[in-house]
Amino acid sequence: MSRDRLTPLERLAAYGRGQPVDRLPCVPIVGNTAARVVGVKVSAFRGNGRLLADAHVAAYRRFGYDNIRIFTDLYTQAEAMGAKIHYPDDETAYLAGPAITSVDQIASLRPVDPEKDGNLPHHLEAMEIAFQAVGREVPVTGALTGPFTTASFLIGTENLVRLTLRDPASVHRLCEVALQGSLAYARAILATGCTPSLTDAMCSTTVISPRQFREFGLPYLRRLVEFIHAGKRPVTLHICGKTHPIWEAMADTGADCLSIDNAADLGEAKTKVGHRVRLMGNVPPSEIMLQGTPAQVRDSVHATVRKAHDNPRGLVVASGCSLPVETPFANIDAMLDAVREIGWPVNSAAIGSVSAT
Amino acid sequence: MTQSELFRALSDAVVGMDEDTTRKHSNTAVTQGVDAYTAIEQGLVDGMNRAGQLFETEEYFIPELLLCSDAMYAGLDILRPHIRRASAEARKRIVIGVVEGDTHDIGKNLVKIMLEASGFELIDLGRDIAPQRFVDEAIKADASVIALSTLMTTTMDAMAEVIQLLGKAGARDHIKVIVGGGPISPGFATRIGADGYSASAPGAVKLVKQLVGETV
Repeated sequence: MSRDRLTPLERLAAYGRGQPVDRLPCVPIVGNTAARVVGVKVSAFRGNGRLLADAHVAAYRRFGYDNIRIFTDLYTQAEAMGAKIHYPDDETAYLAGPAITSVDQIASLRPVDPEKDGNLPHHLEAMEIAFQAVGREVPVTGALTGPFTTASFLIGTENLVRLTLRDPASVHRLCEVALQGSLAYARAILATGCTPSLTDAMCSTTVISPRQFREFGLPYLRRLVEFIHAGKRPVTLHICGKTHPIWEAMADTGADCLSIDNAADLGEAKTKVGHRVRLMGNVPPSEIMLQGTPAQVRDSVHATVRKAHDNPRGLVVASGCSLPVETPFANIDAMLDAVREIGWPVNSAAIGSVSAT
Repeated sequence: MTQSELFRALSDAVVGMDEDTTRKHSNTAVTQGVDAYTAIEQGLVDGMNRAGQLFETEEYFIPELLLCSDAMYAGLDILRPHIRRASAEARKRIVIGVVEGDTHDIGKNLVKIMLEASGFELIDLGRDIAPQRFVDEAIKADASVIALSTLMTTTMDAMAEVIQLLGKAGARDHIKVIVGGGPISPGFATRIGADGYSASAPGAVKLVKQLVGETV
């Protein structure tokens, strides 16, 4: 990429070793916005791995960020296990109905076969194509939904959260079958050359308690992380919403990098777990990236860098969650430009003092 | 058990997520001829409000709050038929739902529970609801408030549309609109002309009470 001296892989490798880099790593988490880059409808990605790959490679080339994540929505594994997903013509898909409605039906669920079930083969095809195209310069990752979150789509979220207190054993059975599918999918993702990127949205303390995360989230995530580590890949774990009471537990999963939502404070995360994990975050995706101006994006990047550029395990400047589909390109550019302008080592004068926040 | 002990026991059973005990004490209230409305207010609702406080201080989370509400509703089923007409004043109505394009409804359900516990009558349209339907249902029900929820940024425009449609229907003056959900900020609420925003379910109760001038 001509506007940056290093490729993302060179930058991340040097940054990890504490060697000089041209700028901090930066990842505006582009999801279905990639459809806008190539001028297609979001629904065109369904069943079309080639298009999904081309769109993400084009988006990476257009913006020059440091990580490609092949992603359309969080439901791909649940759909492959029987959940009903609604695909609007030109917006992100959403859950129309769970795969099962009662615990008696858990025994009917089977872990996914990534080569056959639902849209998984198309996503794997996209990962393979994208990795072949640009895998030598930028990390290409494949979105992998965590077992607890997939379980919530399998039986319905409200149902699942009630069961965490009323029938914990059934929740474990659901998480276990979801985990077996996740492991199979992780294996298939690794085989494409890509790295699984974990999201476990429902593990947020916006939804369940820290104790419940330790019981129903952590053990399954740990087994996934161990599996991916056995494939010699680093793991990023994203949990949406509030997470401050579970940062330690998130680090206990073994993940190398925690992606923190804008509902949590990156400065606090640095103090609590920054010596154990890299942090990624957390420019507000809706309020700033979608609805804000480039100047507001720049201010928000400055605030992020001010809070966490000295994180012992490093910082990836990122959006707090996947970007909304209609995020203006100018705001994505503004995010990268702000990070380029700040440079490395971070010029404290350029970003103001901490007290200015 | 004195009346106040009974109310306390009802409240404790709700906070303790104990449906069976809530039912038992509710039946006791009925058998002893205790005023059902007061038993609901000082027992069940008091318990749900305490649960809401525990939720706000992050001692309770969504699973606990849902189980408390299950207990509250179990008690309501027993006590409500015994409310004497005089004490059952006309309750203000609120139309609530998740806007079109989204099916995340836990947040909406929590707001509904807390508003019901505070004495409002809720008309729950469910999820994935077209803007025009909110307006039609609110006018039909003579509602005081429309409460809109979403977790998806793609559906935020539909919230603005509800407000515009309400204006077109000439009902904007007497129906308040409140919004909430993950991607919603107070700034967004102001920009689309909503009457209020709340980040939490207990907060939504305070907001609605302010808007409709209730001092309960």
